[in-house]
Amino acid sequence: MEKKKILININNLASLEEYRKIGFTNFLFAVEDFSIGYQAFPLDKIPKDAYLFLNRVMDSKTIDHLKEVKEDILKYRGIIFEDLGVYNIFKDENISLIWFQNHFGTNSNSINYYLDHGCDSAVISNELCGDEIKKIITSAHKPLVFNVLGKNNIMYSRRKLLSNYNEYMHLDDYNDVTLETNKNRFFARESEYGTCLFNDEYFNYINFAKELADDKIKYYLILNMDLNPEDIQNILDGSVFGDEGFLNKKTVYRLEDYDR
Amino acid sequence: MKMRNIELLAPAGTKEKMEFAFLYGADAVYFGGHNYSLRANAKNFSNEEIKEAVMFAHERGKKVYVTVNIVFHDEDLDGLVDYLKYLSEIKVDAIISSDISVIDTIKKNNIDLEVHISTQASIMNYEAALFYKNLGATRIVLARECSKEDIKRIKEEMGLEIECFMHGAMCTSISGRCVLSNYCTNRDSNRGGCAQICRWTFDYKKDGQKISDEVFSMTPKDLNMIPYIKEMINLGVNSFKIEGRMRSIYYVATVILIYRRLIDKILNNTLTDEYKDYALKVLNRVANRESTPQFFDKLPGVNEQYYLGREEVSNQDFLGLVLDYQDGYAIIEERNYFKVGDTVQFFGPNMETFDYTIDNIMDEDGNVIDIARHPQMIVKIKIDHELPKFAMMRIKMFDI
Repeated sequence: MEKKKILININNLASLEEYRKIGFTNFLFAVEDFSIGYQAFPLDKIPKDAYLFLNRVMDSKTIDHLKEVKEDILKYRGIIFEDLGVYNIFKDENISLIWFQNHFGTNSNSINYYLDHGCDSAVISNELCGDEIKKIITSAHKPLVFNVLGKNNIMYSRRKLLSNYNEYMHLDDYNDVTLETNKNRFFARESEYGTCLFNDEYFNYINFAKELADDKIKYYLILNMDLNPEDIQNILDGSVFGDEGFLNKKTVYRLEDYDR
Repeated sequence: MKMRNIELLAPAGTKEKMEFAFLYGADAVYFGGHNYSLRANAKNFSNEEIKEAVMFAHERGKKVYVTVNIVFHDEDLDGLVDYLKYLSEIKVDAIISSDISVIDTIKKNNIDLEVHISTQASIMNYEAALFYKNLGATRIVLARECSKEDIKRIKEEMGLEIECFMHGAMCTSISGRCVLSNYCTNRDSNRGGCAQICRWTFDYKKDGQKISDEVFSMTPKDLNMIPYIKEMINLGVNSFKIEGRMRSIYYVATVILIYRRLIDKILNNTLTDEYKDYALKVLNRVANRESTPQFFDKLPGVNEQYYLGREEVSNQDFLGLVLDYQDGYAIIEERNYFKVGDTVQFFGPNMETFDYTIDNIMDEDGNVIDIARHPQMIVKIKIDHELPKFAMMRIKMFDI
């Protein structure tokens, strides 16, 4: 996996130069007011050669605000977006758009719709098994973005779930907590825009990615939460890390399939 | 208030529930077929049953919307074109969908089918609504997270019909943005397998240490928009939707009747605070969770969710279903225990709700009995009020 095809999110500006030094060239920044779950930055702190990660489901007031800063946003390399309102605003503009409606990139037809209608690429959902991913990548009309390492945003609520609980229980203002039950553990983070739950364990699809046709991949995406550049380098070099997510575990949805 | 068409839209998990929904005042129902619907494990409707349901509805001037609202995987796309063509041929009034592949399939194949954009698409802004309008959608089912201001802006900027949930269970998550079920049980929530992990309880930890002696839960209370329906009508909401395809006929009948009367009273300017209070009490009683208006007027706070796991109560208010009324006797199918001396309440379509103290019960053979104790046993009660078929008898809850 060539570093020039890796797209990695940045959680602190100090790490940016470290990543550049070890050969990374594609960066993704969450943006204040328009992003959730990741460390977000004001536009004036984000380098213009970066992609912007606009992953909030936006209300009309936020859309108004986005239009106010539209000209500033058009100076960036591209947008990875969740809300179709963002797509509607930027689809006829000269900026690279990548569709990442979380958990919706699960079939070839949907992905190809956006590829055929102005998007440069799309992010494949991570809750697919390996065979499903390969089929989608093969039939996509343009190279796709494949998430190879990270913690998935598993649940996104508009509610302030942690603040509400802290208040109800008369606790301190805890944030970035772990929710744990039986075998399951989730990392929960809240902001003024809601609460996100991430799987506590990183998934690591780097080995699997070697089975994919490289020319059908635009970027190998890394959505980092707390790893430093050295950790990332080690993982890319083959350190054993994380789990295989759904690669070998196809999801089911009918009662008759539950025990299979 | 100026009269205009306001649709009361009911869930119909089965043919029986559809019939009760229409009988009790729904203008339209929604349900899923055996495939492509988010209640994968509900009974749902076969293709033939959908056709019959459409005929049944249209004969009564009512509408049927079919949910095609899963988030598709490639394997699910097989058969989709034929299914959509079938729904078009049998003249369903619209489908409800969020996956762009469904909408695109309809366009590419020139299928004559109206599309309502599902709440799974979580539309909270007018630009997203315009995107779907440009694709040919005729109605948007807004995200439950929409505020009053969002509803107003979307209606003003987009102009299409707007449908809003007004009653029933809420997801903790923004719809479609939750795959907790996939991670905890391998059941795909966006294809109808949701295991409701948001109703589970969790330990609450920071840096590996429990920071609360109590469990953590993120279960929201139910939605109940009674205080704001008039305002929503004024904002331009066209259709008011009730959640609950897997609820009982008693729940469907009770909730539909309350909202039918509430909407009618709003439209003919006869709504009183007393009726609103009564409606709130009845609805809070029939559900197994408390209910609040949630996002309409503010962000839900500490009082809009549960914290210690399930706080639900089983409801046994439904005492009997009126099968017929002959010669001064109501023929009733028993649903829960009742006896001579109990004060009950009869409610139903085209009748005033009234209280009645039972002073006689006879079994099917005419023998006098004191207690109706067996579910589905048929009894007769002498009663002066004439009752319509399929009226219901419940525990007397509140003064009317």
